Amino acid sequence: MSGTRLTRRALIAGAGATALAAPALASFGAKLGGMIDLALPGGPSLRPTTPAFPGKGEMIVQRIRPPLLETPMEVFREGIITPNDRMFVRWNWPMPTEVKAAEHRVAVGGAVKNAVSLTLDEVAAAGETVEVVAINQCAGNGRGLSEPRVTGTQWGNGAMGCAKWTGVRLKDVLAKAGLGAGAKRVRFTGLDVPLTDGAPQFIKSLPMDMAMRDDVLVAWAMNDEPLPILHGFPLRIVVPGWFSTYWVKMLSTVEVLTGEDDSYYVADSYRIPAQPITPDAKDFPTVPITAMPPRAFITSHTTGDTVALGKPLTLEGIAMGGDAALERVDLVGKGWEIPCDLGPDEGGPYAFRRWSVKLPQVAGDFADIGVRAKNVNGAVQPETLAWNPSGYARNVIERITLRAQ
Amino acid sequence: MRAAALIVALALASCDSSPEIVFKDASLTLPDDPVDLPEGPGRDAVIENCTACHSPSTMLQQPKVSAEKWESIVGKMKKLYKAPVDDAAVPAIVDYMVHVQSLPEAKP
Repeated sequence: MSGTRLTRRALIAGAGATALAAPALASFGAKLGGMIDLALPGGPSLRPTTPAFPGKGEMIVQRIRPPLLETPMEVFREGIITPNDRMFVRWNWPMPTEVKAAEHRVAVGGAVKNAVSLTLDEVAAAGETVEVVAINQCAGNGRGLSEPRVTGTQWGNGAMGCAKWTGVRLKDVLAKAGLGAGAKRVRFTGLDVPLTDGAPQFIKSLPMDMAMRDDVLVAWAMNDEPLPILHGFPLRIVVPGWFSTYWVKMLSTVEVLTGEDDSYYVADSYRIPAQPITPDAKDFPTVPITAMPPRAFITSHTTGDTVALGKPLTLEGIAMGGDAALERVDLVGKGWEIPCDLGPDEGGPYAFRRWSVKLPQVAGDFADIGVRAKNVNGAVQPETLAWNPSGYARNVIERITLRAQ
Repeated sequence: MRAAALIVALALASCDSSPEIVFKDASLTLPDDPVDLPEGPGRDAVIENCTACHSPSTMLQQPKVSAEKWESIVGKMKKLYKAPVDDAAVPAIVDYMVHVQSLPEAKP
């Protein structure tokens, strides 16, 4: 651990941590890199950080196998594009660690006129090449911050990132086979498979209107580089504005369905309450998690930071509109709010956008301040968490406290 | 109207000509999990039944939940994900998870 890319939030040198309690995780930090405190309520809150994964910089380790790697929040200070080596990594099941390009095929079948099996070159030539800048965000991003806590991957807010994706339109790939009568959904399978016989494979489907959108891609490049294996080499689905559970990686099968999708990860998992619930609710109706809501983050400061009393203060950060363009961001405190200035539209409606606000003079502590994003469809971040038992779609206003001195 | 405007914007971002995409083979080697599970009652049952799928690190990062919740989680692994967990080992697995969650966490 050389000290490069260290986070300033509660990073402990691994060597120091080994002398403390909870030997297992601390020694993990010592062996891999450092430790970071994700401020998860009630803990355990410390996570190891490591640059040990191929092609990745310093990442927060949520799981080694199959990898779950979180992006440190400091990365989001650097711009609206998340570099490939800092993009979060999430696999439900183990993925192959080797893919031969010449042998890979994408089967397009189901309710189609002529089922086809396409080489990578045939996929790439299926239509015009399209570039889209879009945020890839795990449905469970921020799950670890839920109160009451819920089980699952205990992400902080770094299971998100924004990249430029290059590929062909999914609808052009579908046209190679031709849609059959009654086509209703399009389902995707990747090369990742369950470890146990009979366990559900990670397959996901989109309704036809989404599948046919002009910006829904079969992508091969991420920020102008070939998709790394950890991000779905050789091809992945890109669905701007929707959570990344639909962005199936290592795409191997495209299947047109004529009915509803009864597969596990659509019918039974990745679902949220149809109406708001309380933590003691049982047997409530659910709907699939789909479009992303707006979110905003302060990246210039973290909670507990000290600011200069009597001096001007500039706060900065990033925001997203979710499935529609960002309209505005407001700094909110107890009983007050101040509009923030939006930065230039660098990446379009599905990208992060910078915001900033300059306060003329710090008059005292800032207790529980946050930023609240609103999109052009009128969706706005709520004051209180829309709690759900899977910790999905967190978009409560994230608050920090700054001390004036 | 907004949707129409977005589609136009995206179309403008399209390239005019086919790019030279060359797909090359890819491979990587993933690191091992260096964590050893702490000593405790039921540790062997966890190693025998759980670690084939779950890195030790993951198990140690879950929020504190009750023994009943751990039992239901193990049941879910068996029923839904077809994990070959020995029924006789379930109480020991639950005991171990409750035990490790009672250990203090290292603090900076």
